[in-house]
Amino acid sequence: MTGGRLPARLGNLVPVARGRAFLPILAAGVLVLVVPQVWFADSEYTTSLAVQALAFAGYAVGFNLIFGTTNQLFLCVGALAGIGAYGTGILSNHASLPIWVGIVAGTIVAAAVGGLMSWVAVRRSLGVIFTGVLTLAFSFAFQDLLFGQQHLTGGSTGQTLTAAAASLADNQIGGYYLFGAVVIGFLIIFRLLQISHFGWAFRALRDDELAAELAGVNVARYRICAAVIGSAMIGLTGGLYAYSEGFISPPTFAFDQVDVTVLVLVAFGGLGTLLGPLIAAVVFAFVDNALVNSGQLRELIYGAIIVVIFLGFRRGVPQTLGAIVRRFIPHDKVGTRWRLPLSVRQRERS
Amino acid sequence: MKAVILDGIILGLGFGLLGVGMTLVYGLGGVLNLAYGEFAVLAAIVVAQAISGGMPTVLAAVLGILAAATAGVLLDLSLMRPVYRQSTGHRVLLGLMLTLGLAFVIEGVLTWRDPLGGLTISIGGKPISILGVPIAVGSVWAALITLAVGVVLLVFFAATTFGRGVRSVIQDELGARLVGISPSLVRTVIFGLSGALAGLVAVTQSMTSPLTVSGGFNLTVYALIVSVVGGLGSVAGAFLAGILLGIVDDVSARYIGSYISDIVLLGAAALTILVRPRGLFGS
Repeated sequence: MTGGRLPARLGNLVPVARGRAFLPILAAGVLVLVVPQVWFADSEYTTSLAVQALAFAGYAVGFNLIFGTTNQLFLCVGALAGIGAYGTGILSNHASLPIWVGIVAGTIVAAAVGGLMSWVAVRRSLGVIFTGVLTLAFSFAFQDLLFGQQHLTGGSTGQTLTAAAASLADNQIGGYYLFGAVVIGFLIIFRLLQISHFGWAFRALRDDELAAELAGVNVARYRICAAVIGSAMIGLTGGLYAYSEGFISPPTFAFDQVDVTVLVLVAFGGLGTLLGPLIAAVVFAFVDNALVNSGQLRELIYGAIIVVIFLGFRRGVPQTLGAIVRRFIPHDKVGTRWRLPLSVRQRERS
Repeated sequence: MKAVILDGIILGLGFGLLGVGMTLVYGLGGVLNLAYGEFAVLAAIVVAQAISGGMPTVLAAVLGILAAATAGVLLDLSLMRPVYRQSTGHRVLLGLMLTLGLAFVIEGVLTWRDPLGGLTISIGGKPISILGVPIAVGSVWAALITLAVGVVLLVFFAATTFGRGVRSVIQDELGARLVGISPSLVRTVIFGLSGALAGLVAVTQSMTSPLTVSGGFNLTVYALIVSVVGGLGSVAGAFLAGILLGIVDDVSARYIGSYISDIVLLGAAALTILVRPRGLFGS
């Protein structure tokens, strides 16, 4: 399968209705489009919460692509986002380049850094934990760098993006639609990868890396590809976040702010699932908002929620709820949604 | 230079002790305890409260270590049960998430009850001269305690029946079960030991610098890095890695600058992982 295209014989196993694979994304897109009109377009506060949720959904989709599908624990989501954001900030503030140049450059650098780390990890055949600690070390070193290089980053006081369009910084709903479009775009890319030869390779190497390698899947190449694409998503989201907020500071991209949240989101939504990260981001936006007034108890409750969720719903909350629903509704009435061939599903269930 | 290296070794012994508690738990079934640093903070707060309540320092320290050990045992008996029922592949993530949640809960409780809490144990007296280098009394005590505990641990794992049993579970859980060792009992004891070590780290740390409620997460991260560099599951490796990283940290702080020293430290850790992907003493 290294050659790129899916062999015809495997192709037959993919459900005929490929178009249906995109139905969930379409539904999510419509919701993203319509919800503000009927609900919060007039409330600046709620809109800013929604922007925040979508930005985290963007990070989570990228992380899901790296960890959920190819099992590389990248604990540097915040750092990659920071590369995108600070790339944007530094290029537009210090080099007076147009803001989109900064965003593109930041995205490319983030993708390159993510790809490099994946290459190193693959080369040295680091396991999940070791990749995690390596990227964690990078994460912390990046934070130190942000604090240390004051003339470039503004240190702990942060940096205002002078070139950020006033129209976007002031116009929250514009930011909302920008992030909405980006997240939907990410989901489309994610699905496209899933139904192409990438999807098969990802599934194979997540199940059993050695077996996949023996079956001719170029594990290293697919891993690095996933890391590059996922890191680009994270970097782009970070750059756009800097653009829409107009101000960045190191804590915005700190490990405990971004990575912990993203890990919780992806695990909550179900590893490797399409809509999981988006659903989780929305749910946790509500949870966060509900906990705003609990003050000092906030952290305690947040932790308790994480524990309860992971004790009760080990495969991701949407999946578990879906399984419960399916138990009560006969199988054929659920409809022929896009799904894996029966043989694969049975194997995964066991 | 001699002073810097000696300082680094003392700092590194602390790192090493921190790493041991993390590495042992990981060795027994592949779970990283992200609440580890919070155990240390918990112990610190208990000690601080006990001292302010009029208890002698030594007794308070023992009480704090016991509290952290109890927390470790409770963690094993409650949240870790479903984790160990999972297959090895799923354990990692579930273990990470549950201990992460627990870390939030402990930190939440501590910041709620005692937001400004912290522990400083000051030991007075003139600096002691070691190899011609004056070292603060607190640091000497911390280093001596750490060294003693390190030796006891090494002897325990090398020479006692129970210690060998623990190592056999680290090597091969099924094999250990076949020769009559109960992995779950071993795990409970090791979780308790790990908690006690976290508590001890809190005590020795606070002899040189204050340990505050918000410091738990950093302790966890350092423990993680030290244990990975040393080779997961290896006690001697954790100490060696701790001392190496301590020297690297001190030397770079002295000669390059303090904010760079963190980057150098992390870079050294990353480099070790890359050169020896299984850690210094990994198998």
